[in-house]
Amino acid sequence: MQHSKLLYEKGIIKNRRMLTQSQYENYKLVCRLEHIKTFYSSIKAICFSDFGTLQASEDGLLITVEQGKSIQATLFIAPAFFAEFKVDGAPSFSVKINVLAECLSLFGLSDCSIKMLYKGEGAPLLLLLEPHDDDQVSTECSIKTTNVEEPMEYELDLNSSSLNTIFMRGPDLSNIFHELDKAADEYEFTISPLKPHFKITTLGVMQAESSVEVAKSSDMIILFNCRETTVARYKCQQIKLTNKAMQVATKVAIKTDASGLLEMHFMMQSDDQEEMYVRFFITPLLELDGN
Amino acid sequence: MKFRAKMLDVLYMREFQAIAATLAKLAKDCVMILGQERMHFIVNEEHCSTSSPLVWVSIGSKDYFPEYKMTPARPDEDFIVLVMSAMHLSRALAVLRSGTSSSVHSCKLKLKQIQFPCISVIATVVSPSSAEPREVVHDVPVTVVPASDWPSFVLPKVPSTQLVLGVPSLRLLRSLIDKLKNISPSLIFHGSATGELNLVAESEMATITTRFSRLLLHKVNQPQSPSATAAAAALEVSCSVDTRKASAFFNALQLPNEEIMIGIDKERCICLQLDIRSQVVLHSILPAVCI
Repeated sequence: MQHSKLLYEKGIIKNRRMLTQSQYENYKLVCRLEHIKTFYSSIKAICFSDFGTLQASEDGLLITVEQGKSIQATLFIAPAFFAEFKVDGAPSFSVKINVLAECLSLFGLSDCSIKMLYKGEGAPLLLLLEPHDDDQVSTECSIKTTNVEEPMEYELDLNSSSLNTIFMRGPDLSNIFHELDKAADEYEFTISPLKPHFKITTLGVMQAESSVEVAKSSDMIILFNCRETTVARYKCQQIKLTNKAMQVATKVAIKTDASGLLEMHFMMQSDDQEEMYVRFFITPLLELDGN
Repeated sequence: MKFRAKMLDVLYMREFQAIAATLAKLAKDCVMILGQERMHFIVNEEHCSTSSPLVWVSIGSKDYFPEYKMTPARPDEDFIVLVMSAMHLSRALAVLRSGTSSSVHSCKLKLKQIQFPCISVIATVVSPSSAEPREVVHDVPVTVVPASDWPSFVLPKVPSTQLVLGVPSLRLLRSLIDKLKNISPSLIFHGSATGELNLVAESEMATITTRFSRLLLHKVNQPQSPSATAAAAALEVSCSVDTRKASAFFNALQLPNEEIMIGIDKERCICLQLDIRSQVVLHSILPAVCI
């Protein structure tokens, strides 16, 4: 950051607001990752809306993106994932998520380390990127932050008798979704203790229907926990927003209950075995007919 | 008016093909100026609305061509000037790139008059399946520029610059500039005689500063007096250019070079120079823009 300051003094950088703010002495948030790859693909996976909200605490870093009031994605990174993680209080702020993603990909395929710093309200989010294969190059990005927009709180009742949970292998589930009818409007998820166990039906405008059934004995399924049958419909476009996360996930958890709220967890595993989670909440479509 | 040249070395043929491929990425038409000692190519689409910058390549005929014979239309003329489609030339030479499947023995270039003037590219190729070489012939139609029109086809001169730095991380630079074009329409190059180059992209949402340090200093304007020596050591110059133009140049490059020379003429232009061999050099000029 010292570096940008020098350039500002020389008049090369014009926007003073993008420099670190001198009214703050200490950083509210300092975190460092040695390898950017998993973080970048996770950010890309939730990059479907304009703004993302970052919330840091002792428990880790949360990055939340919402679209309307019906879909929410949260990237959760535990402190253990970071090579360095220091947080003072519980800072939270919003940034343009695509700008963040763009900054993370500045060096393309070259692996780099990243340090993120944030001083406090009104200060920009600073990213320091250093490629591993070239120590002569370094980048400082400062991204404008705005006041946080409180994300919606969704929750499934863990004690509900209708809570159904399935753990699946990521690549398998990704293949299933890949083969579904792309032109469909709605997807219907059926989870049942009896056959067909787990069924996805696509419903199109032309009344075309197709379905995929996965038996609980299938190799794709790691865990199948279901007591009551749940059926709910979701907008196909919203399910599709989970695509990027699904493509890189190693494991996926699907949870839902009688209310139909769908919770999906995608586990992103990096080479050094540490894990990052992306969680999606998708609200169901209302039942239109009274059957 | 006669011209014929022959290449024998596989490496040189590949480089020549890479040069033609680079030109084809930049513009529709290219100008070929054939001199006694040198062959030049110019692409210039500045007058069009495209974002390609002016690029020219000078090739020492002795470097690439063991046989090189040029006879101008009239004995008092020094050149033959031709205009041709860059894409056609690149396609005609594509056979030289061939990897392990077949090997190219030689490649001849010949100026011919069939129904129209053309440059004939004749490659002698040996396939692994047969011992007999075969000839691959492409006739690239050309327009011969009469001497009266030569003033509009003059080879550009390298502008004088205050500072020239050698940047060894061309691959990083390319992906960086490609991403920066999504951030800001203009890009500032700021170089110093201490061997540092800063690339600055600023927008409403973000400021991105990339520093390349410990660069080789190729040239600083020679100081006239001892007092100026100190000033020269502390010299800093900057110039802002169109990010799309810079990106178009870097994305077009098909050569395997890892180092590029960046010259900065204060608030006038950026001169890019790629030394393919000692007598084979590619140049480009990015004009300054006002911020």
